[in-house]
Amino acid sequence: MISVKSLAKQFTQGRGKKARTVQAVADVSFDAPDGSIIGLLGPNGAGKTTTLRMIAGLIEPDAGAIVVDGIDARAERAQSLARLGILSDARGLYPRLTARENIAYYGALHGMSAAQIAPQVSQIAQMLEINDLLDRRTEGFSQGEKMKTALARALVHDPKNIVLDEPTNGLDVLATRALREALRALRAQGKCIVISTHIMQEVERLCDDVYVVSHGRTVAHGTVDALLAQTGDRDFEDAFVKLAFSPSTQALPSGVQS
Amino acid sequence: MSLIFSVFKKEMIDALRDRKTLIAVLLSSVIIGPLVLVMISFMVSDIESRAEKREVYAIGMEHAPSLRNYIERQTFEIKTAPADFEAQLRKSKFSNPVLVVPADFEAKIAKGEAPHLEIITDSANRAAATGTGNLTRMVSGFNQERASILLATRGVSQGSLKSIDVDEKDLANAQSRAAMLTGMIPFFLITAVLYGALNAALDSTAGERERGSLEPLLANPASRSALVIGKWGAVAMVGVIIAVFSALSFFPAQALLKSETLRALFQYEAREAGMFLIVLIPFAAALAAALMAVAIRCKTFKEAQASSTFVILGVSLLPLVTLVNPDGEQPWHLFLPGLGQNLVMSRVLKGEPLDALALGVPALVCAAITVLCLLYVVRTLNTAAVK
Repeated sequence: MISVKSLAKQFTQGRGKKARTVQAVADVSFDAPDGSIIGLLGPNGAGKTTTLRMIAGLIEPDAGAIVVDGIDARAERAQSLARLGILSDARGLYPRLTARENIAYYGALHGMSAAQIAPQVSQIAQMLEINDLLDRRTEGFSQGEKMKTALARALVHDPKNIVLDEPTNGLDVLATRALREALRALRAQGKCIVISTHIMQEVERLCDDVYVVSHGRTVAHGTVDALLAQTGDRDFEDAFVKLAFSPSTQALPSGVQS
Repeated sequence: MSLIFSVFKKEMIDALRDRKTLIAVLLSSVIIGPLVLVMISFMVSDIESRAEKREVYAIGMEHAPSLRNYIERQTFEIKTAPADFEAQLRKSKFSNPVLVVPADFEAKIAKGEAPHLEIITDSANRAAATGTGNLTRMVSGFNQERASILLATRGVSQGSLKSIDVDEKDLANAQSRAAMLTGMIPFFLITAVLYGALNAALDSTAGERERGSLEPLLANPASRSALVIGKWGAVAMVGVIIAVFSALSFFPAQALLKSETLRALFQYEAREAGMFLIVLIPFAAALAAALMAVAIRCKTFKEAQASSTFVILGVSLLPLVTLVNPDGEQPWHLFLPGLGQNLVMSRVLKGEPLDALALGVPALVCAAITVLCLLYVVRTLNTAAVK
């Protein structure tokens, strides 16, 4: 379970007289219960990645609270990270290591022994159908193969909560479908899953609950059907544009995605 | 602790699988050093063989039978120099100084006048220049002999000719003379450590950021100090491994040394190699930490390469201080990384005894650099890793 309350983060760009501050995240809140997939939907630069980086402990928030399985993520970073599996925007695999070595390295970083890692790797490889890839170096992997390997790496310590930043970026139809299947399987296991995306179809097909993020704020929340009802649209894209770019949110300073 | 080891192991595998880079580093720092040494030995043996040949090249020797007689009594063979010897000397095609005898040599001697002899050489022509001393001594030997005969015929004692008795005594022992030639070995070892560590250091910091793998790595519960220490250990280890190869490579080179004297003088055995490693291990540790500290803020590998130029230049140029500084070795030299190591290794090669200060000071300086740089890297990862 991940609960985020009124998260805010400001960045200073440049130095001296040229310095200007950018409010990347102004007020983002959401609740992601176990056994569900939550979507953070927003245009580019809405502050989604910054929010996820704060959850991952990479950036210290200026204000707000992040609670993971009842643990205050800001106070107990390591404890909270141990319960999180994070697939970042940049997959960041080591090209000279095999897929198995990449996955096992993260297991070791989570304090797992070799004996604990091995069965876990084969189980995840089974689920993500990457058995053939395991002993190849990740150099030259396709986007889909890279994503699956990075996801396997994020799952090696069997985390209760999974956070994915733009997971379908650069994936073809088949790879996207395979990912969706995997995420549904994980939801069935009772995991709490948060994905950030700007792609409507992903949200429509996958998410139990949607938070629309725009200009650093959560501007709407509900199931896809509830959001359609709210704006009176039949097409989710129309509904999203109304929610994200309505005059009430336009007035706010624009955020950045760094 | 097991965490640090996991990071260390991963970084070692990563660095050792980077075959292209490793091969380039091995070729440049392990092969070139011994190669240059062997080449120098060929040069030295060439000079030696010329000294053994006992030949004098001259023009117009037919005008000076008395000088010819003297030279031949010194068991030297007299050869006629080629007509265009001046041009050849200038082009380094002819490698002997030439004695030019005037036509009126004997006539002037008979009259008691001083004939004018010329020794023609080219100081830019190394081989010819080395023979000049011998030739000059030969001529002054002849001069002295003539003078003493003249004095003897007038009943003057030979001793009055020598109001001063000069004897040259070279304080450099055999080993330190060889060290003039082998002085470049420390330089090659230092650059071996440098280039060995360089790539691994940049790859595990700026490379990690460029690949996009830094962000997921830091989103692990593992402490940043454990990550940094593991990485640093691997980088330093790669530097040490290259240094070991480089130190070992001088053993086969020794067997190939052409010059007998050089081989006899060149004392490079297991003890020397071991001492070198004792000096180089803390140096590799400091260099690894310094390179990581320079590269950690860089966004790309290329940017990090540009920034690390300062470290590379500093370490490779500092040893030159001893060449430029007219005062020779100074106590503060030991405090400079690169220079200190160079000095201590030169002393080992010269067979000079090492005191605790010479071994301790550079090691302590390296330890201090290591700690400071690693603290900086950890701090950077804690505060400004992702922006």
